[in-house]
Amino acid sequence: MSVVTRKLIAKELYVNRWFIGGGSVTAAASVALAAAGGGAFNIGALTWLTTVIAFGVMLGIYGVVNERKEQSLQFVLSLPISIADYVRAKLFGLLLAFLIMWVAATASAVLVVLLAAKVPDGLLPYVLLLCFFMLANFCVVLCGALHARSEALVTGTIIVTNMGVSVFMFTVGLFPSLREHMFGATPVWNTTFFNVLIVELIVLVIAVVLPLVTVSRRRDFL
Amino acid sequence: MTVTKHIEMRGVSKAYRFFTLQDISLDLEPGQVMGFVGPNGAGKSTTIRLAMGLIAPDIGEIRVLGCRMPENQAFAKRDVGYVSADMRLMPNATVGWHMNFAASIYPGWDADYAATLVKRFNLRPEQGARSLSQGEHIKAALLLALARRPRLLILDEPTTGLDPVARHEMLTEFMDVLRDENRSILFSSHNTVDVERISDRITFLDRGRMVASSDKEGFLDRWRRIDVQLPQGAALPELPHIVGRASDGHFHTLTTDQFSELQLARLGNAVRNVHRMNLEEIFVANVMHHRESRP
Amino acid sequence: MYSGIYISQTDARPMYLQIMEQIRARIAARDWPAGKELPSIRALAAALNVSVITIKRAYLDLETEGVIVTRHGKGSFVADVNGLAGELQDQKLDEHLSGAAAIAKQMGLSAEELAARLRRAMKETK
Repeated sequence: MSVVTRKLIAKELYVNRWFIGGGSVTAAASVALAAAGGGAFNIGALTWLTTVIAFGVMLGIYGVVNERKEQSLQFVLSLPISIADYVRAKLFGLLLAFLIMWVAATASAVLVVLLAAKVPDGLLPYVLLLCFFMLANFCVVLCGALHARSEALVTGTIIVTNMGVSVFMFTVGLFPSLREHMFGATPVWNTTFFNVLIVELIVLVIAVVLPLVTVSRRRDFL
Repeated sequence: MTVTKHIEMRGVSKAYRFFTLQDISLDLEPGQVMGFVGPNGAGKSTTIRLAMGLIAPDIGEIRVLGCRMPENQAFAKRDVGYVSADMRLMPNATVGWHMNFAASIYPGWDADYAATLVKRFNLRPEQGARSLSQGEHIKAALLLALARRPRLLILDEPTTGLDPVARHEMLTEFMDVLRDENRSILFSSHNTVDVERISDRITFLDRGRMVASSDKEGFLDRWRRIDVQLPQGAALPELPHIVGRASDGHFHTLTTDQFSELQLARLGNAVRNVHRMNLEEIFVANVMHHRESRP
Repeated sequence: MYSGIYISQTDARPMYLQIMEQIRARIAARDWPAGKELPSIRALAAALNVSVITIKRAYLDLETEGVIVTRHGKGSFVADVNGLAGELQDQKLDEHLSGAAAIAKQMGLSAEELAARLRRAMKETK
């Protein structure tokens, strides 16, 4: 990875610093709210979900699409990099930016599940699946944003993936083998859990590798 | 010893849905300034983007500083400064941040020169990219390009949106680059006055084709406007190299792209005046003639 | 030194001719004495914001006229010819006089009438 690529990754983190900081704090705070249980739990959980989704969307839009629109793409492409270097820098930079916030959000969610008395520990597997789903979701959005040549396509990808969140919650959340242990006092790690996790991780890896194979090979970038 | 040309294009073509760039061949030698002139949509920006490796040609070969483009663009761009009129700095960062960024990437960065340019261009390092006007974006981009003293400068309408004072500053900086005979400049502009002044070579583009490419003094020497007044009943004699003619009764204005004494001899007393043409006039006449012969 | 040379955008004459004239004027006025080194082509181009090719042409033509001498690898110098300054002034005077003669002919003045006008002009000039 060339020096310039590394500096561009660092630039991605710098340029999005407010998003990363703000997103992490909001996610942690909403999860803290959820610790109170009952109605507060619902509000907190919903806010947490919205924050993580919105953060991913904003990184996708501001990170990729707007750079094209705001014409700072030309500036970046005038640097001594190839198109493949640019795709790598964008991919890993934005992924890293999201990961920082995601780790904060996931860690705080896990902590609240384990430590809050009003929140049953049995929720832990489902919460983890949800967290990894959000991560995979972001990777799909990023993959789409890097491929798409039009803003419309990116918007479409974002809408579809976010519908996926509801779909996830209403299907996986209703899997009997997960549901029956959700409100227990101890987390249950069964095959269903691992199967869902593996699917999420496969989707994640594909979404990350795909741009490196396709978009990097493009010969026209503008 | 053959010196590497800074830009070499051979038979380059690129097709888009509504526009095709065809058969572009040009050379830029070190120590030269080439001006690129053409109407909107002629293909100047496309040609420049091809030179920068941002797009790839369908046919033809492109070499910049000896590197094949777009394959070796990362290497070539280490010594190329690129500024285009619609370029913007990265949002959420200041001018100063961009200067530090450039300094960390390019070993040739001259911090003292950069500081001088900041003052000269009336910029402040604390300015955020979002608060810059279009002219200030261009000035900042030029600063970032100039301060690293690249061997090749590629500029796409660099004086757009600049007031006359800023334009003058800009041209002075460009010409300063040329003190070093190993550095060269390719710039496209609508401002034919600037192009006429500082270019060594001029290339005209129209509708995706190169209409002409030659050294500037050659153009200015070869083109003339001849005012003719024919006596009663006389016809215009047969003349070589007349590319344009406007007639009003006995008065004719002939435009030639290969002025010679022969033409004056054939016209004799009918000649009222011979005018040199400035680059803008040459350009318009050239394009009109080109479009007539290729509808 | 050479920042005093100015190229007018509105002057219809080609830039290289304007430069040549201004250099000749400085030599004629002895501001640039015989043997003085001229600025390098690139330095002058940068100072005037004019293309290198224009300066090259001006220097080439001045050399053809014998006004300057270019030594390969060393630079260009004002020609060290005795009376060059005077020669250039002579040239300038002759140019003006032929111009005056042409206008006088058009107006139908005789040589004596023109001479009288010239005497008056010399009296009025400080």
